Amino acid sequence: MSQYIAIEHLSIYAQDTIIVEDLSLNLEQGETLTILGETGAGKSLLAQAIMGDLPSALKVTGNVLVNGVDMLRANRRECEQLWGRDIVMLPQEPWHSLSPMMKIRQQVAEVFRFTLGNGAREAQKSAKTQLDNLALKDDSDKVPSQLSGGMAQRVAFACASATNAPLFLADEPTKGLDPGRKHHIIEQLKQKANDGTLLTITHDVSVAEALGGKCMVLKNGKLVETGDTRKILSSPSSNYTKALIASAPQHWTATTKKTHRFAPLVSVNDLTIVRGNHTLFTGLSFSLGEGEIVGLCGDSGSGKTSLGDALLGLLPYQGNIAFHTLLHRYQTLKLYQDPPSSFADHTTLKSLIDDVIKLHNVSKKRADLLSAQLGLNQQLFERSASEVSGGELQRIALLRALLLRPKLLIADEPTSRLDPITSKAITHLLVDQCREENCTVLFISHDRTQLEKVCDRVIDLQSLTTSKAVI
Amino acid sequence: MRKILLQRLLQAVLMAWSVGTLTFIITRSLPGDMAYKIAAGRYGDDAVSTSAANAVAEELGLHRSAFEQYVSWMTDLASLELGNSLVTGAPIVVELQNQLSYTLVLAGLAILVSALIAFPLGIYSGIRCARKSENTPKSRASLFDKTALVFSTFVRSQPVFCLGLILIFIFALELNWLPVAGSSGFVYTILPVMTLGLSLAAISNRVIRNSTVNAVQSGYFHFAKIKGLSALEAFRCHALPNVVIPALAFMGIQLIGLIEGVIMIESLFAWPGIGHGLSHAVFARDITMLQGTALLMGTLFVLVNTLVDLSQYALDPRVRENLGHSQ
Amino acid sequence: MKTFALPVEKVIGFSLLMLLLLLALGEPVLLGTNGNQQNLKQVLEAPSAQHWLGTDQFGRDMLARISEGLRISLSLAALCVLSSSIIGMLTGVIAAWCRGWVDTTLNFIANTILALPGLVLILLFAALVPGSFIMLYLAISLVLAVEYFRLVRAITLPVVTGPALENSALMGFPKRYLFSKHIWPAIRLDVLSLAAFGASSSIIAMASVGFVYVGLKPPSPELGLMIVELFPYYHEAPWLLAQPIFTLFVLVLGFHLLSAKSDKTPRLNKFIFDSSSRLSKSNALERKL
Repeated sequence: MSQYIAIEHLSIYAQDTIIVEDLSLNLEQGETLTILGETGAGKSLLAQAIMGDLPSALKVTGNVLVNGVDMLRANRRECEQLWGRDIVMLPQEPWHSLSPMMKIRQQVAEVFRFTLGNGAREAQKSAKTQLDNLALKDDSDKVPSQLSGGMAQRVAFACASATNAPLFLADEPTKGLDPGRKHHIIEQLKQKANDGTLLTITHDVSVAEALGGKCMVLKNGKLVETGDTRKILSSPSSNYTKALIASAPQHWTATTKKTHRFAPLVSVNDLTIVRGNHTLFTGLSFSLGEGEIVGLCGDSGSGKTSLGDALLGLLPYQGNIAFHTLLHRYQTLKLYQDPPSSFADHTTLKSLIDDVIKLHNVSKKRADLLSAQLGLNQQLFERSASEVSGGELQRIALLRALLLRPKLLIADEPTSRLDPITSKAITHLLVDQCREENCTVLFISHDRTQLEKVCDRVIDLQSLTTSKAVI
Repeated sequence: MRKILLQRLLQAVLMAWSVGTLTFIITRSLPGDMAYKIAAGRYGDDAVSTSAANAVAEELGLHRSAFEQYVSWMTDLASLELGNSLVTGAPIVVELQNQLSYTLVLAGLAILVSALIAFPLGIYSGIRCARKSENTPKSRASLFDKTALVFSTFVRSQPVFCLGLILIFIFALELNWLPVAGSSGFVYTILPVMTLGLSLAAISNRVIRNSTVNAVQSGYFHFAKIKGLSALEAFRCHALPNVVIPALAFMGIQLIGLIEGVIMIESLFAWPGIGHGLSHAVFARDITMLQGTALLMGTLFVLVNTLVDLSQYALDPRVRENLGHSQ
Repeated sequence: MKTFALPVEKVIGFSLLMLLLLLALGEPVLLGTNGNQQNLKQVLEAPSAQHWLGTDQFGRDMLARISEGLRISLSLAALCVLSSSIIGMLTGVIAAWCRGWVDTTLNFIANTILALPGLVLILLFAALVPGSFIMLYLAISLVLAVEYFRLVRAITLPVVTGPALENSALMGFPKRYLFSKHIWPAIRLDVLSLAAFGASSSIIAMASVGFVYVGLKPPSPELGLMIVELFPYYHEAPWLLAQPIFTLFVLVLGFHLLSAKSDKTPRLNKFIFDSSSRLSKSNALERKL
């Protein structure tokens, strides 16, 4: 059987809605395939179909053959037999995949013990080695709640790769990771690609680029384009693929930067922030100009959010933060990383926006004009926050903030939870609208490339923590 | 860990203060002829006289000023001078010791019985429920699960003494298998223990069932199977600890409800433990006995809370971590 | 907006309670028999046309007594739940919102009340003034109020520290708005659930206290007291003893079903973790990436 995975006309339905439509693909042993597409049930369901792990409530038609085994018709027991030995999947949410009360070394050792049948002591040793390889040497006795997101991802990776299964499925392996971590995981995946057959699902074009091999582009469960990765990425034929590639920050056209001197809005001097027992940074000094778009980047835990909160007066700090113009509370606002949690639930968006309009006597005309500029149609407002997509909600959050004509807007990773195409749109909307309003933006992100394309200047918090730099 | 012990110590002090103060207020609120009634209760209606009533009043120090009395009352309490029973005249400490052993037997057996019922029932219900709804978002309850739910709701919706009465009707009065009440042998423990055990198990089995369903439907259980563990291995290593440890914590908290249930059950079955002592002391206005039993119950309560906290600290690494990082 | 599918348990619970309420309020209006009237010529009679539920050991009409017993239990439950919920909610929200020393003080008071098991506290209060409805009401309300306090505080804390409320505050909305738009929707459902549960707890507490002869005094037809008084006549007139037991059972069952959260045990009452840190730290598992 040279065809390791053979899928023919696979369609998956949830009641009457079609999620995956007429998909066919062939993967040979040792090949690498990347499935590119935005967040949607289609890609993960495809991985689950290959595993034989589809929810029984879904209707499926077509054929999925893995190494000759019909995964759709085989009974569950037979499929589960293959897990860990012939197929393994690295799931999307690493934290939820780790047992909360078990030490991570134990969780890796299990694989050696049960799947590979080693003795207990040998399993422990192998687990240690595995964790060492992923830079988790000193953390092997920790429990998942003590790990950061990146560390949990590495532990899950350790477990999955310990099985040495010839077919490796990775579901969004770099979601939400810092660029440094992302690079590390990609290296690990490349190793897997060399050792066996690798199928990666991602919305990140750079991951596809790094892995090479073959590529399939999916939109709403339908195949848009397929072929050799390099060829598709260098000369895409469909519009959707073009948009997807263009949405990666490295391909953005840089906006014109304002180089004139900005009148200072706020000056920060010798700032130190302490959270709990942990000093995030000391001796930070910088200033923000009126109408300036400033990017703030740094790895997670470096204190980017805390810095923003301190500027808004939400957090205690040591040092000096001085505003050069007297601003009302409502003129310094924040955009949040997780749009749904920044809106009150159980109530329509219309009523929330109306409350803002009533509170500050905003003119209806301005509200309508802004809505139009942000591409929001009136029907959206009739829903509640939980019934609207992340991207649309972030636009409404932007509308809500702009209605008050803020002078300072702290955008705390506003696009990291969004799909790449939406993320690009929101980033540009944010920057364009704020320039028009002459509002200062502190754009916080862990993606430096994104910031360099749209901001007037970029502050790197990481490189400032040890030195007392003035920018 | 020290933080836990300090917190509980503070609770013990507060508890003792509450009991002491409340019983003191009760003492002060005794109408004049109460001393007479207590003397009558002690010596018999015929033998009582004004002097006897005065002696009782003297004993309780009803003639002194309120503040003086309070200070001396609390000092006695602090030095564990619990005095004698106003009804029987016996030293409180001795009475309490007798009662305590009975209560501990009852409570210990009841916990055991409830664990023996709740764990198998809960885990099995959970597995049946989860298996029936393999991979579907909503859990559809199996027949077994639904029956267990009905049983639990039925038992839980009654005051514990009603349950006791029902068991008495069935087993003692109708079937004549067991004695109704009393304490002179092992066979007398069966009904009270069963009553308490069942009422505890009715709630804890649902908690265990829910934990089991959550564990079996969780991401980590699923990933364990993906890693290559068999369903049984995954259940043993991943699901079970995440079910048992929180369940033990819950049952520890249930012990608190047990202390209250003991009051009712001991009264119903005439089991001479602390609960029985407490309710009779309230009825007979035996103030010193009331204080003693309430104090003892309160102490047990604090002890149980402490044990629960410590065991959670030892077993659940998340608790250790939370307490380690202050605030 | 989503439509509400009425869960079966709540419907059953509600109907049961309505039936009992009907009995409690309807009987005096429609029949008006005197439940205290003794008639020693008609003791321990079986149900008949004249006495629908029979008569007790003093010849008193059982239907009237059961109905009055229901009125006592329901009025106690209503009073206790009303006062404890208002006090508990107010203090819970204030503690969570203000934090700092206000929170510490309120927590301290709550812990003092909770230092004793609830029933012991209630018995002590009952011993203060025996046979007094007010004392029982005070004691039960106190214990219930603390449970409300802890629940409301635990729910309000993450809301008050969360992004939605923080944003509204930044935008300049007054405290009144912050409460009605953010805090109240979060506590509303649980408060109602706890109300039903609290009602059943207070009824059980009163019956328990009556059962050990420390509650309301005879000839009051309190349900717990009735049970213990009728127990000796079990053999001659089993239908008598069954009545208060059954009534109590249906009453408590009704409230339980009303408070139940479909298939899950109510996550309220005493089984909430002690330290606030534990509950809010459970959200710390969702760490920022």
